[in-house]
This record gives sequence, C-alpha cells and structure tokens, in this order.
Amino acid sequence: MAKTLLIEDDRETADEIIAELVHRGFEVDWAATGIEGLDKARSGESDVMIVDRLLPGMDGLTIIEALRQERVRTPVLILSALGAVDDRVRGLRMGGDDYLTKPFAIVELVARIEALLRRPAESRETILRVGPLELDLLARTVRRGDRMIDLLPREFRLLEYMMRRREQLLTRAMLLEEVWSYKFVPQTNLVDVHMGRLRHKVDKSDEVPLIHNVRGAGFILRAPA
Amino acid sequence: MHLPEFIRSTTFRWTLVVSGAFAVCIFLLFGFIYWQTAVYMTARVDNAISDEVNAIAADPPERRLDAIDARVKQDPRRVRLAGLFSADGRRIAGNVERLPPGLQDDSAIRSVVVVRVDNHGRENQTARAIARSLPNGEVLMIGRNVDELVEIARIVEEALALGMLPALCLAVATGALLSLRAKTRIEQVNKQVERVIGGDLRQRLPTHGLDDPFDKLAVMVNGMLDEIEALIHKVAGVGDDIAHDLRTPLTRVRVRLERGRENARTLEQLRAVTDQAIAGLDQSLAVITALLRIAEIEHSRRLAGFSEVALPDVVREIGDMYEPIAEDRGVTLRLDAADGFTVRGDRDLLLEAVANLVDNAVKFTPRGGRVELALLRGGSESVVRVRDNGPGIGANERDAVVRRFYRSDKSRHTEGLGLGLSVVAAIVKLHGLRFTISAGPGCVAEIACPQAHD
Repeated sequence: MAKTLLIEDDRETADEIIAELVHRGFEVDWAATGIEGLDKARSGESDVMIVDRLLPGMDGLTIIEALRQERVRTPVLILSALGAVDDRVRGLRMGGDDYLTKPFAIVELVARIEALLRRPAESRETILRVGPLELDLLARTVRRGDRMIDLLPREFRLLEYMMRRREQLLTRAMLLEEVWSYKFVPQTNLVDVHMGRLRHKVDKSDEVPLIHNVRGAGFILRAPA
Repeated sequence: MHLPEFIRSTTFRWTLVVSGAFAVCIFLLFGFIYWQTAVYMTARVDNAISDEVNAIAADPPERRLDAIDARVKQDPRRVRLAGLFSADGRRIAGNVERLPPGLQDDSAIRSVVVVRVDNHGRENQTARAIARSLPNGEVLMIGRNVDELVEIARIVEEALALGMLPALCLAVATGALLSLRAKTRIEQVNKQVERVIGGDLRQRLPTHGLDDPFDKLAVMVNGMLDEIEALIHKVAGVGDDIAHDLRTPLTRVRVRLERGRENARTLEQLRAVTDQAIAGLDQSLAVITALLRIAEIEHSRRLAGFSEVALPDVVREIGDMYEPIAEDRGVTLRLDAADGFTVRGDRDLLLEAVANLVDNAVKFTPRGGRVELALLRGGSESVVRVRDNGPGIGANERDAVVRRFYRSDKSRHTEGLGLGLSVVAAIVKLHGLRFTISAGPGCVAEIACPQAHD
C-alpha cells in the first residue's frame, strides 16, 4: 500500500483528497502546515507527496527545495492556484516532479499520483512489449502479432508513451503535456481525435481492444488478460 | 517660531529671493550712477582748475593778485578756492588759510581738505586742488570745493529709499498673495483628488476658464480622469460579460442537478446527470482559465526569455495537430510552409496563437469546406495566414471579435469560449507582431512577423 503525504492547509480540500485516496487504497498522512509537513517529509517514509504551494508560514516550494537539499528524493506533486506557465516552470525547477493547477478533477490528481509512483525506470531496452503489441524504438516499427502497424511520427510517440505507462490511467492533460509538450489547453478535444486514430490502427474490430477509454478521465493501454 | 503657512510656502520664499536679488540690482545700479557722476564731475572740475592755474601762472606777477582777487570775488556759491603763498608758506592773497600739507611741490590735482577764510568766516571744505611753484619762489594754489558730490550721494540715497521701499513691500505683498492663491487652488485640487481616491470617479478638478498653467494642468488631469472613468466602465462591462458567460452554463448545471435529484430513478440516470453537470462546470472553469491566461500573457514581461523560433516548424506542428481534427469534421486542411523563416519569440505562445487561429477556422468552416494554413514571405516580413471559406466575419465585427468574449451571432450555436482570438491578440501584442482579420471568400486571419535581423 502506497504511503502518501499530503501537505495542504485547506481542511475541506484535504478531506476530499484524503477520502478519494483512501478509497483508492492509499495510506494518507496529512500535514496542515509547512513546518509539520517538512518534519514528516524528512522521515522519508512516504512514497509520494502532494504539496500545496501556498501554505501559511511557508511556501510549498521552500519545502521541496529544503528536502531536495537534504537528498530526500520522494516524488512530489505540486498543487497550486497559480496556473501561470512561469510558476509551473519554477515549481518543476525547484524539484517538483509534477504540477497540477487548482481547481482540478480528482481523477486527474489520482492519475498523476499513480504515474509518479510507477514512474518507468530509464530502461535500455529498445523493444517495448504490451501483450501482442511490440514497438521497436530503433527500427521505428510497430507490430501487433504478425500484423505490421503503420504509424505517423506523432502516433508513434503517443503509443510509445502509453506502452511505457501501461495499465496506467493517462489523462488528456498528461498526454498533452508529455506527448505534445503543449503548455496550453486547446479548445478542441485534440487528444481524443488523435487517440481515435491510434486506436483505429492498433485495435482492429476483430481483435481484443488494448486501448481503453475511461469515461470522463482518460485512456489506458492494457494487455489482454 | 510658528510662521503663517503662506510664509513657509515655496512661492513666498521664491518671491523673497527674487525681491532680494532685485534690490541688490537696483542698489548696484544707483551706485554705478553715483560713481559715474562723481567721476565725470571730478574730471570737469580738474579740467577747469588746471586751465585756471596755467592761466594765472602765466600772468605777470603784478597781475596775479588781481586775477586771484577777481576769481575769489566772483563766487556767489563759495566754491572757488585760490591762494598765493610766499616761499616760507605765508599767505599773500586768496581765500585759503594755508597751503594744505601734501600739496606742496606737486604738479598733480589732489583731493584735499582746506580751510577757507572769507568775510563769512573760517570753514573746512573738501576740494580738488593743485599747487604750482612760481619762478619767484611763491606758490600758487587753485582749487574747487567738491562738497556737491556729497550732496549728490545724499540725493541718490534718498531716491533709493523712496523707490526701493515701496517696490520691496509690493514684491512681498505680491508673493504673499500669489502663494495664498496657489495654496487655495492646491487645496481645492487636493480635496477633489482625495474624493477621487476615495472612489468617486465623477469628481473633476476646478477650472477657472483662464489660460494659466494651473488651468491647463487641471484640464489635463480632468481628461485623464475621463479616460480612467471610461476604462472602468468598460472593465465593468467586461465583468458583466464574464458574469453572463459564467452564469449561463452554471444555470444549466443547476437545473440539471435539480431535475436529476427529483427525477432520477436509477443510479445510471443519476450518474448521467452528474456527468452533464461536471461538463457544465468544466466549461465555466475553462472560461476562467482562458481569462487568466489572457491576463497572464498581457502582463507577461517574458521578452527576456525570447529565442529564435523557426516559423515553419510552428506551422507544420499545428498542421500535424489539426489535420485529423479537420478531417473528422469533413474539412480539408491545406498546409503550405516555406522554409527558413525565424522570429524572436516564445515558441509555446506562438504555437498557441497559431493553434487558436486554426482551431477557429476549422470550427467555423462548414463540412466540405477548406482551411489553408500558410507561411508566406512578403518583403521584410513573413506572414502566417489562416484562410477558410466559412461564413467569414463582417467588417463591422472584425475589431469586436478580438475583444474578449465576443462571439459573432452566426456562431452562437457553435461550442467555443469566445476568447480564442483575444488570446491570439494578446500573444501577438506581446511579440510586437501585427494581427489582422480580413474578408477573403471566408475569413482571413494573418499574423505578420518582421524578419528577425541576424
């Protein structure tokens, strides 16, 4: 069971987050102030931390900076009401691993926490496999069983990203940030259209689907049971 | 010591300084006049006595006594001085008691004090005088009283006193009056400004219909206040628009939730209602996010972070991104990107701007239509052009679409936040580029980028 440390001063927000995470099987430790949070974080017992940026008495970023200087490497998700790109860049530079702007969907938060917990190790393998799906990073080819799949460069990157994070819920915002490296949210639902194309190529109608749409949340690449 | 306020005022102090300087100038002027007069008179006196001493000295000795007598007698103002002294200093003739010390054996004219003796008695007089030794050993002295100069000095002093005192008093009084007046007007202005600061933007500074700097300043400030008031009304108008655009989806959410609570019979039905409600809330949040985004871009001072951005890459990337979306909507997206254009800017923001233009074009072009995304080279600038054959934007609406929240009536039924073009305008402005919307067959949106100099 993953241990999560939540540093958030707003009681109601904290209650919601805790309830949802506990429901999903996390163990949550809550700190309402920066000092308390820093103390708890120093123990290094948590697997992942959620840190609010604006805390009474201490900036969330200060906590992260202090921890990184003390070589505490626990992955951190920064929560902030400041959505500006510059704030985000600063947050990540100070040692945060991901950044989520308030207000956020709770599924988005959970998806990002899980992504932080299951961050793929830098692997040297050049062929990624999920079920019958095989992606060759050197030859830039994809096959499903015996069938070759012809992908555009962007589709290739999208599939690669999904295969590295198989069995994980990937939200539209995460895909936009990671695959397209967009710093803005386009008005049209771009991700859905591109994902539709990819699905069409990966999952033929007579095959067991590998890419799943989780309604209202995002997509999962799942190997058939 | 506590002085009245107007005396401590700057105007009054300057008046004093100027009056002082004025007084010094007048004083110097009078001094100069006195000095010049004295020099002139002395020169005239000197000429006269030197002529006279020469004339008398040239006379034969027997006529000298007569000449001296005549000179002394024809002198109603008692200014002429003459004397003839023997070699041992005894007076032979004339009205000078004895030869003044410092004048003996000297050929130059000097200022001396002499003792005048005549039928009025003895008297000390200041005089210009000259002495001449005669061949027979006698000494001839000729002089002229110059007490007149003292008189002139006195007249000058009197004139000074009579002229200066009233002038100075007048200056001080004027200074006091001016500073009082200035103070009164400044107090009026302060009072009005305090009201404006207090929030009453309808207040204006008082003007007196004069052409003085105070009035000009007041007119300028009033113009500024007009502008501020108009802007604030505009902002309030934008606020109303925002409130409206937020209230519409929120009202929908509320109705849905209410109906769902009353009517949902199964968990599935309730879930469907909740999903709709969440979608409505997301729409409201998207409005807020877009507004914050515009504010962020408008207030950004990110110029320092600018770098060379290859425009063809930007155009191609957006083309790749939107090609499938266009195809889904039955719209053809044509891409035409020439090579080799760069512009100084923020790559992410430029991507966002072009994406917004293409997004709009694809959204508003009906099925079967065509959108063209092109990068063109014109003289000194390159142009990113997005052209569609959709319904277009009327000339009267072109400015308005760039304004926040405006959505053309033709597109009220299309999903959109009405903020896309405002975001583009903000980004373009930050980069110092030019953004135009014109009518083609449909709508033509262009971002003109001056070529980066290298």
